[in-house]
Amino acid sequence: MSNHDKIYSTKLQNNLERSTVLLFVLIALAVSVAGIVEIVPLFYLDSTMTHLSPNVKESQKNAGDTAPIVWNRKPGQSLDDWKPGDGVRPYKPLELAGREVYIREGCYLCHSQMIRPFRDEKDRYGHYSVSSESMYDHPFQWGSKRTGPDLARVGGKYSDEWHRRHLRYPREVVPESVMPNFFWLENTKVDAGNVADTMKVMRKMPFYPSPYTDADIASAKDAVDGKTELDAVIAYLQGLGNQIKFTEGVNYRD
Amino acid sequence: MEATQAIPVKYDMDVVRWFTIMAAIYLVVGTSIGVYIASELAWPFLNFDIPYITFGRLRPLHTNSVIFAFGGCTLMATGYYIVQRTGATKLWNNGLAWFTFWGWNLIIVLAVITLPLGMTQGKEYAELEWPIDILIALVWVAFGLNYIMTVAIRKSSHIYVSNWFFMSMIIMITYLHVVNSLAIPVSLTKSYSIYSGVQDAMIQWWWGHNAVGFYLTAGFLGIMYYFVPKQANRPVYSYRLSVLHFWALTFGYVWLGAHHLQYTALPDWTGSLGAAISLAMIIPSWGGAMNGMMTLSGAWDRLRTDYILRFLVVSLAFYAMSTFEGPVMSIKTVNALSHYTDWTIGHVHSGALGWVAMVSVGAIYHMMKKLWKTEMYSDSLVNVHFWLATIGTVVYVVAMWVSGIMQGLMWRDYDEYGALTYTFVESVSAMHPYYAMRVVGGVIFNLGAWIMLFNVVMTVRQASTAHGTNAVPAKA
Amino acid sequence: MSEDQNPSGDGKGQTREQHKHSAEIGSRNPYQNPDGGVTTTGHVWDDDLADFNNQPPRWWMLGLAASAIWVVVYWLYYPSVPVPTSNTFFKGVGGWSAIKEMEADKGEVDAVRGKYEAKLKDMTPAAILADNDLTEYVKRSGKVLFGDNCAPCHGTNGVGTKDKEGLFAPVLNDDDWLYGGKIDDIYTTISGGRQGMMVAHKDSLSETQIIDVAKYVKALSEGKGDSEPAGKKVFMESDCTACHGADAKGVQAMGSANLTDTIWRFDGSLEGIKHTVAYGVNSGDPKARVAIMPNFKEAGKLSDADIKKLAVYVYKFGGGQADAPAAPAAPAQAAAEAAAPAVAAK
Ligand code: HEC
Ligand code: HEC
Ligand code: HEC
Ligand code: HEM
Ligand code: HEM
Ligand SMILES: [Ca+2]
Ligand SMILES: [Ca+2]
Ligand SMILES: [Cu+2]
Repeated sequence: MSNHDKIYSTKLQNNLERSTVLLFVLIALAVSVAGIVEIVPLFYLDSTMTHLSPNVKESQKNAGDTAPIVWNRKPGQSLDDWKPGDGVRPYKPLELAGREVYIREGCYLCHSQMIRPFRDEKDRYGHYSVSSESMYDHPFQWGSKRTGPDLARVGGKYSDEWHRRHLRYPREVVPESVMPNFFWLENTKVDAGNVADTMKVMRKMPFYPSPYTDADIASAKDAVDGKTELDAVIAYLQGLGNQIKFTEGVNYRD
Repeated sequence: MEATQAIPVKYDMDVVRWFTIMAAIYLVVGTSIGVYIASELAWPFLNFDIPYITFGRLRPLHTNSVIFAFGGCTLMATGYYIVQRTGATKLWNNGLAWFTFWGWNLIIVLAVITLPLGMTQGKEYAELEWPIDILIALVWVAFGLNYIMTVAIRKSSHIYVSNWFFMSMIIMITYLHVVNSLAIPVSLTKSYSIYSGVQDAMIQWWWGHNAVGFYLTAGFLGIMYYFVPKQANRPVYSYRLSVLHFWALTFGYVWLGAHHLQYTALPDWTGSLGAAISLAMIIPSWGGAMNGMMTLSGAWDRLRTDYILRFLVVSLAFYAMSTFEGPVMSIKTVNALSHYTDWTIGHVHSGALGWVAMVSVGAIYHMMKKLWKTEMYSDSLVNVHFWLATIGTVVYVVAMWVSGIMQGLMWRDYDEYGALTYTFVESVSAMHPYYAMRVVGGVIFNLGAWIMLFNVVMTVRQASTAHGTNAVPAKA
Repeated sequence: MSEDQNPSGDGKGQTREQHKHSAEIGSRNPYQNPDGGVTTTGHVWDDDLADFNNQPPRWWMLGLAASAIWVVVYWLYYPSVPVPTSNTFFKGVGGWSAIKEMEADKGEVDAVRGKYEAKLKDMTPAAILADNDLTEYVKRSGKVLFGDNCAPCHGTNGVGTKDKEGLFAPVLNDDDWLYGGKIDDIYTTISGGRQGMMVAHKDSLSETQIIDVAKYVKALSEGKGDSEPAGKKVFMESDCTACHGADAKGVQAMGSANLTDTIWRFDGSLEGIKHTVAYGVNSGDPKARVAIMPNFKEAGKLSDADIKKLAVYVYKFGGGQADAPAAPAAPAQAAAEAAAPAVAAK
């Protein structure tokens, strides 16, 4: 062959192609860059979290009287002392059990929990979601498909009874619905031991651990006693989206 | 040079044969589940009030069975096949390869059991619970080690381009799987991700996108780079293009995850980082598509008779199409419309059916003949499969484009009084005809998969009758 | 390019000479490039795999360069750079943010609806009802407000939702009202929510008494109450009249149902009535009928303007009872009947 001096390569590339080790190392380096730039800062930049963001604090200051973004729990207060608008809080035992069912049943595959800052989503679902609202969510439940409506602020929108009937047989309440019937959730009782264990795990999390006290964990038994999985999901749904009381005019995103 | 009398190498092809057969089986399984969940969305009574088969539990089984069962077996079959042949060497460790075969299939069996039972970590494409995650890590690293060591002991001076792509997939997926799956167990069957909220979202989609970018793209480009030139019997069009687009993809793809989270509570800067490179990814992606297409130039006439080549050509066309569509969907204004809608699902399946499945099917048919040293049992069935796969994909994708764009427009439509025009449930009922149309497309595609399975089984039987054994040693 | 970059099969600088596979030998390269004499790189794998030395297409190289430039420009324009030191990030020279984009988009629709909303803001629901222009506006914007928030309980257009357990919430497109069909009543219902309460009687009344009174209530609705003297006695002497009134026509202040008509909030069969009487409504008894209309205002679910719009919207289903000066044309006979010329209650 006469054209060998016209190889369209470089010395480096040629070496890479001859050395498994070199190729391995260079690929490993090439694929690492993005994660370091894109992900690592999310863990330390305060501006990532609504309640830590200097800009949000600034904006709140200008707006005067604003509600807290994260619940500032006083010593001695129990989870039940929290009221809507007091700020983001860890899940109550029954809600945590409901959340487990929500994940198990794959609700997140049809429902998002992330209201984007668009005029139509504001009109339809309410105030756009902010990062601190999902800080106790392991894993996050933002979803990627809306076969059903967004649920980020569904808490308080309906009565428990409506949820009960809707979850049991969605099409009897909403004839157009394509959601599966979940009446059988009523047949299983919530396991208190499992809920307590889950709370302990949430408390151990390396990032945003839920600040449960021993008393909170001990309360799990009574809180879920006799409750069905359906009750638990409803408790979870009713707690969604009413934790922060948003103030008009405050920029909660940046 | 005294080339010609080199001693023929005996390859380890048994494990490849089995992975190939399993891939054909899992394509049927995965697409059947796809058809079923598509039908549940069109006719919800099909949930039959059975917890194990509701949409929410079967959807992860669908994604796991197509991506990990079908995709994984295809990757391992072709990976072991390519690495041996391009390196002119046996596998570094054949026993380890069998470990990956049994390990991987065990994982799939565990997925089939645990997902319908509702055992899930709730992270898309990473649903399997922690003990299975550990098993996945073990098997995957075994595959990677075996692959890379086989590259290391190759007898060719240079590493063939397919192997670059496979190596980048192996490295990246190891990295992604380990980082994304870190979780604290509550019990043997339940664990929670150590990350929460925003950080979890970003890590999840760093994983999610690169499961697409490396597993479903880089790996399958590796397949493309071997089987297209082989089947067309022509050299790869441009070596330099291979080099450039390989590095551009390897470096660039990793950034894209954030395009799944635009406008969410993820900080603006992260979304923009991802969106910018997403758009820039058209060119590197088209580099691969180009290189494949141009490799075929000069062999176009063969398309009339070579059905396998048809699969490969169409797969490249869909690859080019979906890697154009994806970047377009990353543009902020487009994503504002497409996100959360069926448009995403249409995009997924133009990539998954049109590109991933088609290129795999082409590779499987090609390997069948080589591995069993025989012709296909029926070439005309290959042709029938080709048409079913193509038509099925087009019907599916068109249905989802229409429904997705309609959904997006209905959600955001305002009337002349500045009021929202449609309620949410109106959008749900408007989807019905398209959901039915998707089922039709899915059934057509699925039928093709059954035909392939039949053809594969008959070919193996034909070969075993001809050679008197079913594990015919591969050609040298 | 220099000689040692030459990866052909001449073995120079190669460490794998001893393994050399036949396939790799450049001289066996069987290919001719149709595109102008460019040859392959000289490597061959697996008998016949090779790659040409073609240059990538020109458009592609230009595209690659353009892409790189695009990325840099985009990153400068949009917020893209996390800056660790300032604990914030570089916001981009374009000044774009998702929130600003939303404000701008909202500005567009607000321009259309702004003039209505501005008027609406300080008007009572009754005044809105009297304004034809505004009523038309409210009909439009009420559709999705009602469809997304209320229809799940009250059915599309207020026809009610009925499942196995009966009517879930009152029908809103008729002229029968638990809490009153005047526009302000409706407004009060939506903003504050409702929870009608009827005590359970399973302990205060005997089984037979419950059967009797149920029979009486059923007869009442058929216009022949006198045919059930035993039940009537229970009704009059027990606590029923305290809530439903001596005439059993219900008291709107507490949302107790009118028992003399054929419209049933729950189940109008004898069994159903027995159940209601025995277990009550929202009584706390596990078998009680449940009737909770959420509170949309305090809970911050809807703005005051939206609630006013909904009140008008519901009123215009046809069953609204007149109390506005100009009772508009349509509302059913109820409006005419109840036409106590109106001073907006409150
Ligand atoms: C197959 C898709 C699908 C699945 C799975 C699903 N849903 Fe739904 N969901 C829908 C659809 C469609 C609607 C809209 C129609 C309706 O209200 O039923 C809906 C509506 C809802 C609503 C009412 C929201 C509103 O604002 O009106 C709630 C609450 C809800 N779903 C909760 C759940 C929960 C909890 C689960 C899991 C246990 C679940 N969904 C699973 C499709 C689904
Ligand atoms: C969770 C279910 C639910 C939702 C959501 C709901 N309602 Fe109701 N609504 C009820 C129930 C139950 C009652 C009856 C309360 C009672 O009997 O005490 C009721 C009563 C009413 C009444 C009084 C009817 C009468 O006869 O006096 C009006 C008016 C009304 N709702 C309007 C609305 C509007 C407007 C919306 C939307 C903003 C809405 N409702 C949302 C359940 C609901
Ligand atoms: C504490 C007040 C109270 C008392 C006492 C009371 N009721 Fe009621 N009742 C109500 C209310 C309020 C409703 C309507 C509930 C709703 O729709 O939310 C109602 C509803 C009913 C209904 C259902 C009507 C329908 O349309 O389905 C019947 C029947 C009834 N009452 C019968 C009785 C009888 C008989 C007694 C006496 C034994 C009685 N009530 C005592 C408050 C009361
Ligand atoms: C007969 C063929 C198929 C049918 C009918 C089908 C159907 C479906 C349906 C109904 C969904 C759920 C969509 C939703 O939630 O709205 C889905 C999701 C998905 N499918 Fe398929 N599928 C098929 C084949 C495949 C193949 C071959 C692959 C991959 C190689 C694949 C990959 C996926 C993925 C990745 C998702 C998740 C999409 C997302 O999360 O956005 N599918 N499929
Ligand atoms: C350059 C190439 C590509 C880019 C830039 C790209 C971009 C995108 C974008 C913007 C989305 C939508 C995210 C959202 O709004 O939620 C998406 C979703 C998706 N794409 Fe691509 N895409 C590309 C190629 C491909 C290919 C080749 C496949 C092959 C299978 C693929 C599979 C998927 C899947 C599975 C999803 C759905 C993820 C989910 O929401 O579950 N993409 N892609
Ligand atoms: Ca009524
Ligand atoms: Ca009545
Ligand atoms: Cu992506």
